[in-house]
Amino acid sequence: MDKHINPSTRAPSGTARVLRLAGPALWALGLLIPQLLSPAWITIGGIFAIYSIVALSQDIVLGRAGMYDMGHAVFFGIGAYTCAILSLFYNWPVLWTIPVAILLAAALGAILSAPIVKLRGDYLLVVTIGFNAIFVLAMQNNLFGLTGGADGLFGVSGPTLFGHMFGTQSDLFYLDWIVLAIVLWLMRNLDRSSLGRTFRYLKHDELAATTLGVNARNYKVAAFALSAGLAGLAGTLFAMQLSAVSPGSFRFTDSVVLFAIVLVGGQASVPGVLLGTAMMFVVPQIFTEFAQYRYLAFGVAMILVMILRPQGIWPARKGVI
Amino acid sequence: MDFILQQFINGVTVGGIYALIALGYTMVYGVLKLINFAHGDLCILGAFIGLTTLTSGIFGGLSTPVLLILAFLIAMIVIAVAGTLLDQFAYKPLRKAPRLSAVVSALGASMLIQNGIMLIWSPNVQVFPNDLLPNITWQIGGAYLSFVQLLIIAGAFALMAGLYFFVHHTRVGTAIRATAIDQDAARLMGVNVNRVIAMVFIIGPVLGAVGGLFIGLYYRQTYFTMGWSYGLSAFIAAIIGGIGNIPGAMLGGLLLGLFNAFAAGYVSSSWQDAITFALLIAILLVRPTGLLGERVAEKV
Repeated sequence: MDKHINPSTRAPSGTARVLRLAGPALWALGLLIPQLLSPAWITIGGIFAIYSIVALSQDIVLGRAGMYDMGHAVFFGIGAYTCAILSLFYNWPVLWTIPVAILLAAALGAILSAPIVKLRGDYLLVVTIGFNAIFVLAMQNNLFGLTGGADGLFGVSGPTLFGHMFGTQSDLFYLDWIVLAIVLWLMRNLDRSSLGRTFRYLKHDELAATTLGVNARNYKVAAFALSAGLAGLAGTLFAMQLSAVSPGSFRFTDSVVLFAIVLVGGQASVPGVLLGTAMMFVVPQIFTEFAQYRYLAFGVAMILVMILRPQGIWPARKGVI
Repeated sequence: MDFILQQFINGVTVGGIYALIALGYTMVYGVLKLINFAHGDLCILGAFIGLTTLTSGIFGGLSTPVLLILAFLIAMIVIAVAGTLLDQFAYKPLRKAPRLSAVVSALGASMLIQNGIMLIWSPNVQVFPNDLLPNITWQIGGAYLSFVQLLIIAGAFALMAGLYFFVHHTRVGTAIRATAIDQDAARLMGVNVNRVIAMVFIIGPVLGAVGGLFIGLYYRQTYFTMGWSYGLSAFIAAIIGGIGNIPGAMLGGLLLGLFNAFAAGYVSSSWQDAITFALLIAILLVRPTGLLGERVAEKV
């Protein structure tokens, strides 16, 4: 880590300048998907946007604040279940469930992480796996009679916005894509804010940060809450997109995939995480006839990427702290 | 009283299996500070290899006890080779890489083994024949001890005693402990750390293969995702005992087995995993390095 270069005074390199334009251009190009591609790809595009948001939120805890969270599917699931339960059982308009889901997921993130952020890296990892196992069991055992057991809940509809009902897959695609843009903008701001810098500082040298007066515990809990809130937002989109939620989407295996996306793509690197998400969710759709070899190939790819590029495919720029 | 004794017997049986598998996790963690996520899948691969040896009919002429010993030997050898290959290809190139890279490589290896098993043996549950072991049951007080339980308890304790002796009373064992405490200091004292690591990736899988085959014989079935669930339980056992600590893994395995047995007896078994993790979280909050783990500051 090159700590002598002050990033604010350094002129952006050529690639950085290209990237600054390429990102929004790619996003705008993505908006054409519903016009150009088959319905299957519209759904895949929407799912990609949703999982990108979850993976980016996972990256806040893992890549930016440096905490090994391997139970991130819990917060994604809380968002999805909140949306489904409120809209199906309490007849809330779907749109109103979104802020509630975000707040609930963020609150849960703060409550669950508060007692455990002091644990050493690997222990934190195991405890978060535990949270995930407990969450899935709670949903499967039909907690409070609201979660629908192992089958889950069906019939979540799209939201109504300005009198327009987001019902079709391409409607939902645009919604997912726009929310993704908002989240990307938030991530950009986070990286430039003192909050984001404090997260990075804690990751790279917690002792030094503490001596400068950073309350490590509070910031770590804040990282969890922020990350969980974004995952909850993605969860509501997920419930609308599939119009159903079930425990099977939020298992420990799903958390492992999210964890791997961040590490394979590149920690604290937005393009890296998006690339990782594409590898895990879009590439398999191209090779559907080899579906049974999908996880076998994932396994090999994870090993190979780590050996060839231990920092991930597209690591964060150096010297940024 | 009978109920308590019965749950105790069941708990020690499962605990012995957990301990055998937990030893593999704890030894690798001790020398490499790596959670070997693929270990549970290796163990279950051992169960599949053993089952195939028993049922394929290649060794048709042999009597059942000889066949059974052969199944254990073949499973142990194949899994030891698999463990060595795993280390050589997935972990060795990452010794100097950031720690999380090796963790992701381990997760990838786990997916690879798990889905490899699925493709070779099909995703269905594979059933062990029921005439392999004598169908004897002894009555102790009001509780029952079956032959397979006695075999598992005796086998697990014999292996653990052997490993304990090996680790504490031989030169290689001393080298393993020294490497676990401080790799650089051990290297300076003339310990061949690479050989210690290679050793650990043979001993752990061998014990794990026995544990995996025990699981198959005890529940009379095996399926490809079993490695996740049993591996996770065994890993929790290793952490409860204090990860990196070999007697700790044995203690943690037995404690977790007993705890699971009594929890399943007194509380609903559909919440079993949740109860296991609740125990783990409670122990970690009170003793952040496990029961027998030393309180050490994190290396900077």
